[in-house]
Amino acid sequence: MERITLGTSKVSIEFPGVKALSDVDFEVTTGEIRALVGANGAGKSTLMKALSGANPGYTGEIRLNGQPIEIRTPLAAKRRGIQIVYQEVDTALIPTFTVGENVMLNETIMYGKQLMNWRELYRQARAVLDRLHINVNVKTLVQNLSLAEKQMVLIARAIQSKCNFLLLDEPTAPLSDAETSELFALVRHLRETENIAIVFVSHRINEVIQICDSYTVMRNGEIVDTTPITPETTTSEIVEKMLGRSISESFPKEETIIGETVLEVENLSGADGKVDNVSLTVRSGEIIGIAGLVGAGKSELCKTLFGAYRKTGGSIKLHGKELRMRIPSHAVKNGLALVPEERRKEGVMVNENVAFNLSAASLDKHTVASFVNRGSINANARQFVSDLDIVTPGIFQVVKNLSGGNQQKVSVGKWLAADCSVYIFDEPTKGVDVGAKREVFHLINDIAKRGNAVIYASCENSEILSITDRVYVMYDGQVMAELVTKDTNEDEIMHYAVGGKHVPD
Amino acid sequence: MTALSTNRRKKAVHFLLDWAAVITLLLCFVIFTLLKGKSFMSENNMINILRAMSITTVFGIAATVTMSTDGFDMSMCTLASCSAYVFVSMYLWNGMSLGMSIVMSILVTLVMYQLTMFLILVTRIPDMLATAALMFVHQGLGQWYIGGGAVSTGMRLPNGNPPARTTLSPQFSAIGRAPLIIIITLVCVLLAYIFLEHTKYGRYMYAIGGNREAARLSGINVKGYRYLAGLITAVFIAVGGILVASRTSSAQVMNSDGYLMQSLAAVFVGRSVGGAERPNAIGTLVGALLVSTLENGLTIMAVPYYMLPAVKGGVLALALIAAYAGKKEQ
Repeated sequence: MERITLGTSKVSIEFPGVKALSDVDFEVTTGEIRALVGANGAGKSTLMKALSGANPGYTGEIRLNGQPIEIRTPLAAKRRGIQIVYQEVDTALIPTFTVGENVMLNETIMYGKQLMNWRELYRQARAVLDRLHINVNVKTLVQNLSLAEKQMVLIARAIQSKCNFLLLDEPTAPLSDAETSELFALVRHLRETENIAIVFVSHRINEVIQICDSYTVMRNGEIVDTTPITPETTTSEIVEKMLGRSISESFPKEETIIGETVLEVENLSGADGKVDNVSLTVRSGEIIGIAGLVGAGKSELCKTLFGAYRKTGGSIKLHGKELRMRIPSHAVKNGLALVPEERRKEGVMVNENVAFNLSAASLDKHTVASFVNRGSINANARQFVSDLDIVTPGIFQVVKNLSGGNQQKVSVGKWLAADCSVYIFDEPTKGVDVGAKREVFHLINDIAKRGNAVIYASCENSEILSITDRVYVMYDGQVMAELVTKDTNEDEIMHYAVGGKHVPD
Repeated sequence: MTALSTNRRKKAVHFLLDWAAVITLLLCFVIFTLLKGKSFMSENNMINILRAMSITTVFGIAATVTMSTDGFDMSMCTLASCSAYVFVSMYLWNGMSLGMSIVMSILVTLVMYQLTMFLILVTRIPDMLATAALMFVHQGLGQWYIGGGAVSTGMRLPNGNPPARTTLSPQFSAIGRAPLIIIITLVCVLLAYIFLEHTKYGRYMYAIGGNREAARLSGINVKGYRYLAGLITAVFIAVGGILVASRTSSAQVMNSDGYLMQSLAAVFVGRSVGGAERPNAIGTLVGALLVSTLENGLTIMAVPYYMLPAVKGGVLALALIAAYAGKKEQ
């Protein structure tokens, strides 16, 4: 097999006010798996977009085998065999199309005849899904798939076309551990059998070490270092390069005073059967974890508690009083707060400014006879921007221009302003870099310290172990076990998370 | 065991919802036949229904093509009135052949649609707003062209000159009568169906409608295909206008304007047919057929004409409830 290289030479990209990439020299050769790591806003995604033609405004050169090429459109990139799978899967799929059509979309666009050959299309789609051991019906509409399945469809699409360079932008973010290892097996298999280079963007450094041959670190739009991964490579070494400073790996649990029971949930069922007979309690000052794989029903539990999904049975008691909530608005009135999983879709209003977002859950406090008091809103915003260290040019900045970590802080901040007593966090660190993750943890600890009850749902067991007091492990909508965090470990959580029964003592 | 049976029940509910429009249509046929027998279920009356369906269907097809790219055109029927003015005036005033009049009408409609596409694609005004403004532009421009009055036989031109023709040929009238009007309609549906479902250009349009950003990143020329969708829409609009003119043997002022809502209703009812979840040609045909069957059946049942809109609207609402309810929560 003849090796091919893809590289950039002095590639720069400027957005209004920001230099997203400056003079980047990057190169990959087929046959390798390269990690691209860096904090949020380091320029990883921008570089990936430039290589895949989604960012036509770059200066400098992109080179294929040393020859300068023009990649100004996604189509141009695809014709050169450069395929990208985006982090936000919904931006790349057509929800109203079937799985088969989505898998074959590139093929249809580039090589399709004038007329659609539906039988052939479905045959080929099925073949490629079989090859990747993806078990999804080709005739299902993509809008009915889970996040993980959508991801698989996208990878199948990339592999299906001519593909020498596969760019994976945080592919594992929505995947469970089992699905991640399936993906890794697939990626290794691809490297062995095809003439392909894989660029793997990830925040999960342990995954990077596990699967990649070498890594490139980016910081502030520049490439800091490219190094092979050896058995001696450590996580802290990479993190240090990413942040430009050293950072301790674990997030110590801060001591809080645990008081009386605040929230008591008995035999809760709902969300179309995805929450099945769940009982749990949370005391004031306590952080409880909801652990489990993707699809175990964690998000559904959070949303059912919040009244966003229909409850079909059981009771939710707050301070001993039963709550009757049919819609989230009732939950908010009762002092419940939900920081949802899909931040940009559900957590913040991306097109509104920081000040408005921070007051969105507590507007009542900023109104006089139903007229909004802007001064009060702005004062509230300034206070939380400084309290939470939200990095923004000002309180009137539109939230979509903030980095992921800062968006998350805004999403949390709006509930702090609303004085709630129960805080539910659903995967709050998803897509947040190591530095910002620490700050989010700190924030959650603070919330608990003030005597609030906190529910923390995550599929990252290491996070659950470092921040919670007790853990409920979910599997298939049910709570399999209740564990005390300091007496348990990752293996035990995994045992229950994959459906394991009680271990006899 | 219970999981299996709920699963089966879910599937059955889904099936019912997916085919709600078709089932309603069949129910209408059965009920009207039971109640009215021969006076409903006769060859003549079936042709009546199809003929009444035709114009709604053609405008519905125009809307289907626009909506396939997630576009929306409120001004299509006011533009169709203009197409009709051009069609009849070319034939009567300028003495053109029937074929040339049709061609001219389509050409002028295409030219006028450039303005729509300019507002939407170049100045980037949202479709709904741009076409709402264009409704007035079309009405004004059209009436200015015909001098404020209808174009019909025996009338002088706005400048006082006598018309080149004083009568309509049998061929002219045949366009608006069964069977030709039905055949033209079915051909329109068939062409749109083949184009949207079986050519890759149609799939591009649906891809754009489903997720514009994904379509762009997949290398589809989004603006180009939205423009193409506009051109095709314009052709169907012109055909609709010509059918209306031929049916009424003249181009009355704003004669097509009233078809907008019921053709949009046909598209929305048809959206869910067979679980398609997007505007589609066959669904639109079913939707239009449902509207005209209801109208026909209720008239035969001697429901007063002024009550018709309410009953029609109610049944449409039911079909829409079936189409949208029971889909994913929120």
